[in-house]
Amino acid sequence: MRLSFQQELDRLQANLHEEADLVLRSLRGALNALQQRDIELADEVIAFDDEVDARYLAIGQGIEQMLARQTPVAVDLRLVLAVLHINLGLERMADLCVTISKLTKLTVELEHDTTLVEAFEEMGSRAEEMIRVAMTSFADRDLAGAESLVDLDELIDRANRRVVSHVLELGNDPELREWGLRMIIVSRCLERVGDHAVDIGEQTAYLVTGEFREFTDASHPEDSDR
Amino acid sequence: MANVSVNLAERTHEPPPRGSREVVFDVDELGVSYGESKALEGVSLEIYRNYVTAFIGPSGCGKSTFIRCFNRMNDLIPTASVEGKILYQGEDLYGSHVDPVEVRKLIGMVFQKPNPFPKSIYDNVAFGPRVLGMDGSLDDRVEKALQQAALWDEVKDRLKAGALSLSGGQQQRLCIARCLAVEPEVLLMDEPASALDPIATTRIEDLMHELKREYTIIVVTHNMQQAARVADMTAFFTVTRGDEGQRTGTLVEYDATSKIFTQPSDKRTEDYVTGRFG
Repeated sequence: MRLSFQQELDRLQANLHEEADLVLRSLRGALNALQQRDIELADEVIAFDDEVDARYLAIGQGIEQMLARQTPVAVDLRLVLAVLHINLGLERMADLCVTISKLTKLTVELEHDTTLVEAFEEMGSRAEEMIRVAMTSFADRDLAGAESLVDLDELIDRANRRVVSHVLELGNDPELREWGLRMIIVSRCLERVGDHAVDIGEQTAYLVTGEFREFTDASHPEDSDR
Repeated sequence: MANVSVNLAERTHEPPPRGSREVVFDVDELGVSYGESKALEGVSLEIYRNYVTAFIGPSGCGKSTFIRCFNRMNDLIPTASVEGKILYQGEDLYGSHVDPVEVRKLIGMVFQKPNPFPKSIYDNVAFGPRVLGMDGSLDDRVEKALQQAALWDEVKDRLKAGALSLSGGQQQRLCIARCLAVEPEVLLMDEPASALDPIATTRIEDLMHELKREYTIIVVTHNMQQAARVADMTAFFTVTRGDEGQRTGTLVEYDATSKIFTQPSDKRTEDYVTGRFG
């Protein structure tokens, strides 16, 4: 039994879950700053990204060392490759939170639409739930849980489409239109967080089954498994 | 790409599909006993032409016993008995009419420790062809074998020097050249690099890649990464303990090497290749 290697694998996974917790904090901060038009909080979210980046780099270096020194194979190899991909997905989610926070700062003085802001809270909550489901499924090696992310993602995708429709109906007030245009990007960011959560689910499926498989195919949706 | 499900084994250097493989050895329910003690039982598998096939497994799993069956080396052990069948190109290797010496000419073997004769480099390689009275120029035969074993450039100016003056890695390549000089069809290698340093090991592994173009190679190795690097197919053996504690080797899994090292089917294989065994 390679005890130290197993400990390294355990540590790697623990670091990944801590990174996911940081991303959840970042996302909650970005959503609160958006809703409350809180520039200070938005700045904190932007600065907080350094912590996620540090964790991202540490995990990347850990994987590099592990590949060089332990040459993992079979389930260990699949685990290390999955962590490599999930690490990247989490870091990108945190970057999307930064983008939302920057847009919050840009639009804080503009006229806004309360209905849309409330819609973002719902979208954000769904994105948070998806991150939790993705990481729990990964921890539990739960294929069904991982695959359930597709349905959750569909809900965010629909919400995103509703945001676009709503913005188109905002009227001719230039301030409100500018705000609406920037909010389309916020909506897109939340939608992308959902996509990254699905990617994590796909890595879990790979870890469990040994097959690379995308759950859905954006270019050929009619051929998708689901 | 939901409809494009890509299996790791299919994606990497997977050997050709089953239909296009040419079976060299067809092993059926093979068992080997030493006296009352059963060393190996119930092994069935096929070895394919121009493949490198690796046997891996823990000590005592019977992999060396198994490889020795392919050129009837176990015949030299008085207490050894073999049951089951090995067909070599459709012929029963253990048939009553088969001459074991002829078998060993066609199916050469390289051992763990380089074992050159205490003769010159030239005489080591020329030994087999001389004994067998093979046709053609002996010099050409020696040069060709040494070139195939990637040793010619290092020894061409000192062919009369003693073989024991060579380094360990060179001696092992000389032993490979000695096998090749009698034009075998199959090369058996029992831990061919375990006594060598990493550079010499790499040369032997490179050589195996080259030689499989012309030969079928079977290699026993303790070094799993070596199996992962050189083999097209890998067989994993393990030891099972009987009611009275007797240890017998059995075949657990046989598949494409890329499959064995990314997605083995059997938990015991996974535990072994990931180092969780024992």
